[in-house]
Amino acid sequence: MMKTSPTAGRPAGLVETAFTVNGEQVRFELDPRESLLDVLRERLVLTGTKKGCDQGHCGACTVHIDGRRVVSCLTPAVQVAGRDVTTIEGVAAPDGTLHPLQQAFVDCDALQCGYCTPGQVMSGLACLAEGHTETDGDIREYMSGNLCRCGAYIGITAAIRRVADQTKQTEV
Amino acid sequence: MKTPDLGRVDAHEKVTGTASYGADRVPDDLAYAMFAVATIGKGRTVSIDTAAAEAVPGVRLVLTRFDEDELRGPGFLMGGGFAFQSLQPLLSDVVAYRGQPIALIVADTLVAATEAADLVRARYEIEPFAVGIDDEGATSVLQEEALPWFPDVKVGDAETAYAASPVQIDETYLHPAQHQVPMELISSVVQWKGDRLVVHESTQNAGALRHGVAAQLNLDPADVDVISPYIGGGFGSRNALQPHIGPLALAARRLRRPVKLVIPRRQTFHTGSFRPVSRHRIRLGADPSGRLLAALHDADHQTSRHDLYPAMYTEITSRLYAVPNFGGRQRLVQTDVQTPGFMRAPNEGPASFAFESAVDVLAYATGQDPVELRLANDTATDPVTGLPFSSRHLAQCLTRGAERFGWQKRDPRPGSMRAADGSLVGLGVAVGAHPVLVAPAVARMSAGADGRVTVGVDGHEMGQGIRSAIALLVAQDLGVPVQDVVVRVGDTRVAPQHLTAGAWGTATALPAVHKALRELRKRLGAGDTGTVEVAAAVRATGHGSPEVEVTSVGPGQPPEMLDRSRAGLFSAAGPVFPDFTAFSWAAHFVEVRIEATTRRIRVPRALCVADCGRVASPVTAASQVRGGVIWGISEALRESSEVDPRFGGFLNTTLEEYPVAVNADIAEIDFDFIDEPDLLLSEVGVKGLGELTMIGVAAAVANAVFHATGQRQNRLPIRIEDVM
Ligand code: FES
Ligand code: FES
Repeated sequence: MMKTSPTAGRPAGLVETAFTVNGEQVRFELDPRESLLDVLRERLVLTGTKKGCDQGHCGACTVHIDGRRVVSCLTPAVQVAGRDVTTIEGVAAPDGTLHPLQQAFVDCDALQCGYCTPGQVMSGLACLAEGHTETDGDIREYMSGNLCRCGAYIGITAAIRRVADQTKQTEV
Repeated sequence: MKTPDLGRVDAHEKVTGTASYGADRVPDDLAYAMFAVATIGKGRTVSIDTAAAEAVPGVRLVLTRFDEDELRGPGFLMGGGFAFQSLQPLLSDVVAYRGQPIALIVADTLVAATEAADLVRARYEIEPFAVGIDDEGATSVLQEEALPWFPDVKVGDAETAYAASPVQIDETYLHPAQHQVPMELISSVVQWKGDRLVVHESTQNAGALRHGVAAQLNLDPADVDVISPYIGGGFGSRNALQPHIGPLALAARRLRRPVKLVIPRRQTFHTGSFRPVSRHRIRLGADPSGRLLAALHDADHQTSRHDLYPAMYTEITSRLYAVPNFGGRQRLVQTDVQTPGFMRAPNEGPASFAFESAVDVLAYATGQDPVELRLANDTATDPVTGLPFSSRHLAQCLTRGAERFGWQKRDPRPGSMRAADGSLVGLGVAVGAHPVLVAPAVARMSAGADGRVTVGVDGHEMGQGIRSAIALLVAQDLGVPVQDVVVRVGDTRVAPQHLTAGAWGTATALPAVHKALRELRKRLGAGDTGTVEVAAAVRATGHGSPEVEVTSVGPGQPPEMLDRSRAGLFSAAGPVFPDFTAFSWAAHFVEVRIEATTRRIRVPRALCVADCGRVASPVTAASQVRGGVIWGISEALRESSEVDPRFGGFLNTTLEEYPVAVNADIAEIDFDFIDEPDLLLSEVGVKGLGELTMIGVAAAVANAVFHATGQRQNRLPIRIEDVM
């Protein structure tokens, strides 16, 4: 999965950085200004993670670092040295079976254009893990960092609710 | 026959991140582009210093000017051309508006291109500018004089009838400028394959991109492929050629490398179109029972200096009710901005906010219930042309909606209803209409020995679910599983790809697909109806993969419209057809709550009852309604693009400063469909839904706020300070 991009003309001051992405080890010479988002998309060609603003305002670029959600556009890639990054490409089972939350997004039609969807799924997984699912109001608040211009919010909330309830049932 | 509930056919790609949008391509040896933009409101560049930019390691190209023979003007979409505006940056020293690109940088890496763009310095000659419609220097023209082919609607003698009316309402409304801000940034990957130009860009109008860039670069359109299988939201922002594609293609040719450009969010507020500011004076004349005798709608509508973007507000306001005398008058106000353009419900959104707010004023002035007043003014014929409406179930939308929403529990007195927590409660109603437009379409359909059916057709998938509606139609018609239907849209290699907008996508594509199905059945030796064993039928033909191609045009459209569409030109027709006028209709009901201490305005529930003809795909239609209502709430309570009187251009150019509705803003959105096919329009009977669902929502919110507080809201967005 390693893809090297042209380093011709790169300024000095590159930082060798190694981390894992979806369980695989990667290593790059990075310009400290490169965001994790751009490294994922342009170097690793993991284009499921989207750029909607590059300013931390929309959530389209949400990934997990060591299991916690972050906006990858505001994360300098050099900062994730030694950490574990999970992207939307790492969410379904290796055999392609969708994660229950992905399946719930399909079943609840929690998307339209689909552009915000990878970020919504990554945030939704974190929202579930954080336990911010007591009420639908909680889900809405804790999912409000992820904009959806198509307005799929009702489906998104319903999908997270469904998985939260399933999890509760299995725990009981 | 009701359409069964089946999911969205591309949902799996979307939840796994494998759906491929414009910038999701990383070809080998890719270079990255970035624009430097003008920092003045208007004037000219005297000199542009690019030395520092060129010195950034990794920078390959800094371009500030193209020759007229290598890059021509693209022409304005609404003036017979291809682009959102006629002005092509980088062709002269003219700066028409703040944010206009003045240099294009291409580098090996994105960080180098970004750094270099920041280092471009220009010296300017500054000229006075006007960015607001009331600013000194803004000039206006009467639309019907400047653009006689967009005449104002006039029926009877509205001035006289208004003057003689016992009840007169005279209100003025202001609708702000707004930006579409789809989540996907404007972006392209442009690549030459020999003499062939391949453009990957999410667009609603691949045909105009192909022909437009070909005209700009003097290429044969047949040598240009535009590929746009998925769009990360359009809402009008991607409905024409954008001025970055020509320069990118030229840079890619010079460097012999593919080039990617992702326009930063801040720049998108100036590099594409937006919804212009508009002001609406509405005068309603009625008898004491509220029966309308006259309506006058005067609109001021912002445009740019270089293009006259037409207003069409009165197209719907003249048709919502049985108004015997209607007077429309639309003025275009020229300001120093990029050319404004289409944004979801471009005319109908602002027009319905104004008109339906005034109708609510009339209801209170005459002591009528707002639902009853609307029912009493219903009409089965088009008051403008005298033709029948192809279908109009608006009264049913209103009565069904009132029942479902619990309208009878509403105490009409303003400020009379309170929630348990002390919040003021307001219930509002408004109606909306959207013209039915249809465009020519080409559909190509083939069947394979594996039983799969592939259909390529005019249309673009921007989340409205056109791919699902097409797949569903084919699957149902032939009795095959929906997974065996492959739909190709947004691709100039399979069809001309006329503009998909104005909610006509499905109404245009489905009749062509329906026709192709009839032909395919013949080729397969199958009857005109009934299940087809596709694999067996294909084998029986002895051909590898029988293919049919059909064309369709809208009712009464001459076949030459197909040639226009094939040339990448705007070719939609409607809403007035030879024998009827066609609109889709909706009634919206909204509840607002205004918190007693903070005065925060919330919308706990909304209901939309829509008459959109046959519902082509129930799952995606439901999402369309919710999305449209959310747009209406966002229009009413959140969105406003503020201009900068000091430096020109727009001020709030981030998703933080340009707030749109977020998840926490949205609670219950209920909906219902009349679901009656409009068979005058086509055999498939669909009208349009995507825009309709937001039209009238803002007025319903404003009317609900009035009901809660007694304060009329004549400008959007409605903010806390408006309900103090
Ligand atoms: S792209 Fe990172 S938050 Fe928008
Ligand atoms: S599905 Fe389009 S932005 Fe969320």
